[in-house]
Amino acid sequence: MRFVQIIPGYNHLWAVKEEEKETDELSLLFRQWSNFNYLLDFFFANLEDLKGFFHIEKVSDAINDTMEDAQELERLILDFPYTEQLDGLFHPLSLSDDRAHELTREKARNWGRRQHPSWLRIYAIRIEPNVYIVTGGAIKLTATMQEREHTQKELDKLNICRDYLKCNGVFDQDSFIDFFKED
Amino acid sequence: MKQKTLEFLVSHKSETPSTFIEDAAWRQENEVWLKWSRKIAMKIVDYMQENGLSRSDIAAKLGVSPQYVSRILSGKTNFSFKSIAEIERKLGISCMEATMAL
Repeated sequence: MRFVQIIPGYNHLWAVKEEEKETDELSLLFRQWSNFNYLLDFFFANLEDLKGFFHIEKVSDAINDTMEDAQELERLILDFPYTEQLDGLFHPLSLSDDRAHELTREKARNWGRRQHPSWLRIYAIRIEPNVYIVTGGAIKLTATMQEREHTQKELDKLNICRDYLKCNGVFDQDSFIDFFKED
Repeated sequence: MKQKTLEFLVSHKSETPSTFIEDAAWRQENEVWLKWSRKIAMKIVDYMQENGLSRSDIAAKLGVSPQYVSRILSGKTNFSFKSIAEIERKLGISCMEATMAL
């Protein structure tokens, strides 16, 4: 597994870079979220979740919200003073991660968003206070990640990265807290 | 950051650097016209959804290839007034007026 530094000269944010993929997981995510064709296919395929959980009927509204939200999220990440305190941007993925352990699975979202809650998620492993490795992300329209294949896949990616880091001694055994169930 | 963690990340660093900054800069520099392009694409999507049409159906109505429709729907097309007028005429929708009003 390989990693990239997201902002040159700053060690607070990293992302997984799969050899076979054209760029890193964070960049790929924002390319997807600004790709109209990708979003069109995604929301047509997940229209029932969009209607059921968010009461949004029009796919064009969902695409527009996604693109606007992604733009805001991108600016949050680029905002240096804020991102150097990434613990304020990433929140624990589950209640079991609330304890101060070094390894947690986190989700970043645009917490200040008005209108409906943001469905964009950036998933990352917190390796130290304010230091994160992004493993991927998703448009999450359901209550839990296990409910849909595309979010389950992201959960698997989080686990693979966490296990890899653990195997390579980045974390102590005691610092690991297991994942039970997402809130 | 702990030295041990940093050493691990540096020793496992990809030779391909992140494109995040570069991608974000492109999106920000082109933000205004991309927004216009997106608004036109959204009008076509509304038409597709209201009428239960696919990209191929739209292609047939416009007399173009589905690939061309994908390009139109990329949200990154620098439309000409002429091409917008053609879309409006062939689909019987209003893209420009509604987009300008937003």
